[in-house]
Amino acid sequence: MTRWLLLRLLWLSSTLIGVTFVTFLVLDRAPIDRAELEAGRRRVAGAHSGAVYVDEAARDRAVQQLRVRYGLVDPETGEAAPLWRRYVAWLGSAATLQLAGPGDDERAFWRRLSEAVPVTLLLGGLSLLVVFGVGLPVGTWLGRRVGRHRERIVSTVLLVALGVPQFLLATLLLLAFTSVWVQWFPPTGLSSLGSEGDPWFARLLDRAWHLVLPVTVMSLAPFVMVTRFVRDAVARADRAPHTVCLRALGVHERVVARRLLRHGATPAATLAGGLLPMLVGGSIVVENVFSLDGLGHLAFQAVIDQDQALVMALVLLTSVVTLLSLFVSDLLHRLVDPRVRLVDG
Amino acid sequence: MKVIRLLPWLVVVATILIGLLAPLIANDVPLLAKVDGVWAFPAFADLFGDPPPGPGDLSWKQWWSRLPQGASAGDWGIMPVWPYGPLETDTRLFYESPSLAHPLGNDDTGRDVLSRLVHGAGAAVRVGVPAVLAAGVVGTLLGAWAGFARGAVDVVVQRLIELMLCFPMLLFLLFAAAFFGASTIGLVIVMASLFWISFARIVRGEMLSLREREFVRVAIGLGVPTRRILVRHMLPQMYGQIGVTAAFCLASTVGAESTLSFLGLGPRVESSWGAMLRQGNEHAATGAWHLWFFPAATIVAVVLSCHALADRVRVVRAN
Repeated sequence: MTRWLLLRLLWLSSTLIGVTFVTFLVLDRAPIDRAELEAGRRRVAGAHSGAVYVDEAARDRAVQQLRVRYGLVDPETGEAAPLWRRYVAWLGSAATLQLAGPGDDERAFWRRLSEAVPVTLLLGGLSLLVVFGVGLPVGTWLGRRVGRHRERIVSTVLLVALGVPQFLLATLLLLAFTSVWVQWFPPTGLSSLGSEGDPWFARLLDRAWHLVLPVTVMSLAPFVMVTRFVRDAVARADRAPHTVCLRALGVHERVVARRLLRHGATPAATLAGGLLPMLVGGSIVVENVFSLDGLGHLAFQAVIDQDQALVMALVLLTSVVTLLSLFVSDLLHRLVDPRVRLVDG
Repeated sequence: MKVIRLLPWLVVVATILIGLLAPLIANDVPLLAKVDGVWAFPAFADLFGDPPPGPGDLSWKQWWSRLPQGASAGDWGIMPVWPYGPLETDTRLFYESPSLAHPLGNDDTGRDVLSRLVHGAGAAVRVGVPAVLAAGVVGTLLGAWAGFARGAVDVVVQRLIELMLCFPMLLFLLFAAAFFGASTIGLVIVMASLFWISFARIVRGEMLSLREREFVRVAIGLGVPTRRILVRHMLPQMYGQIGVTAAFCLASTVGAESTLSFLGLGPRVESSWGAMLRQGNEHAATGAWHLWFFPAATIVAVVLSCHALADRVRVVRAN
């Protein structure tokens, strides 16, 4: 167990370094010069206050200073710093949680992140709850009826649901339930205007009312995946000798079903970690369509502003969460299912 | 019943063909034109770049519509089947509902929705098909190598796959599209580098089990060259699996391309399904239902057909 844990942690950290390095490399290839960008921005800002760079040489000096400040060039020699050195510098500042990038306001950066995280956490958490809360029973129900008429119909409907792209589903639901057809749900935001003074249960209801459509959109695709996965696992267990034996002994069908659920649930738990990248991707679309200010919105903003530090921070954040949840779900799987421990050390 | 079974094939093949030949099917420039005794092929030129400007100071469409009066004797032209371009505006047809002349209606600047859908297929196909092909080749090669050679190669490929699985796909596409300028070729590269892992995983798994089968061991024992075993004996066993993966990946590329253009970060092209849907969504309040309904229906039809194909192949393989 200790050996497994150590290997696992080693793999975790090396993957983390790999993911961030690949992102760093890709961003480095982008035809964008941060210093030029910032100098241009200041120039626009300066134009308003009357301070404009008079000659090109002064501008070039300013750009060079910015390059030194951003760590893009070596301060002594004035030559471009190699990629690996900049990556190591980033790694060092990331290790001390200084993610804003050199020369940026660390506090403002963290405020942006800490305002966005709870929104996405709420969306993602509720979606996971829906995915497993509904997916496990439905998957078990389907798994015990594989090949029958009703199972085929439900499975086909699920396959169709998986085929609808998320942004399309979001748009269609938005159109159907907020404007064109009926007006049951609010189109945007997390709470109604002027609801701050309401009692807590009214606010809770209001919040839930605002979350129905976004959570539906975000959980549909992962729900279908979990359901199909559980269905197949349960169907396999349903044909296994120990289940046949239980039935032959006359054990009540409800008890059999509970045992089958366990066969489906344990492998499905390992899916949870893999679902996180999907949920993060989904949050970009959902938060864009429903105008919520979460991480997906922040990612979109980072792209529009060409903010490389924010992109790196977001990639780091999502991959840390993904890897940790993969790790935890593997660990849980080992603890719950003794067969896994026998297979690898 | 037979028709229903064929429908997914029909939709996918038709979409690919229509997408590839979009400028020849729906365009406001003629396929073939004779102006003052000189032949011109503007629609074919559109297929590979920009069509040449129309004769004189007229656009091709104006030239064509004045033909019957006989501007100059001997001039004639053949328009494509659907003689409306994706960018051709008409001030009399803003928000026009579907009619006989324009079966899918017109958008907020009077552009023909059908023509825009046809050219949107072009945008989807130009990204999707090369991306799936490239991902398929790279993934199959790497997966086969890892599965057949095992050892160090296998470990490296496995780690690479696990690394790629940690990236949220949409996030990566978004960043790549934004930082590299949204070009079709850039999108193809990014998508191929995201999708090859699906092929590699499948092929590697199949390879691991196939190489233990009798017919492969016999071939090895008989001294058949490794390359021949791989290409002639093992690869044909995996066509089904690779086909399933390709169909799923094609559906994903269509979804991803339209998602990006829906977010306003797709390639700069004449028309794209995702961009059309965004536009329809914005104008839904005006009651112009045809602006969101037709792009939505098209995307769902194409993606579902890909999924149905994949499922079909899997069922055939299982029996």
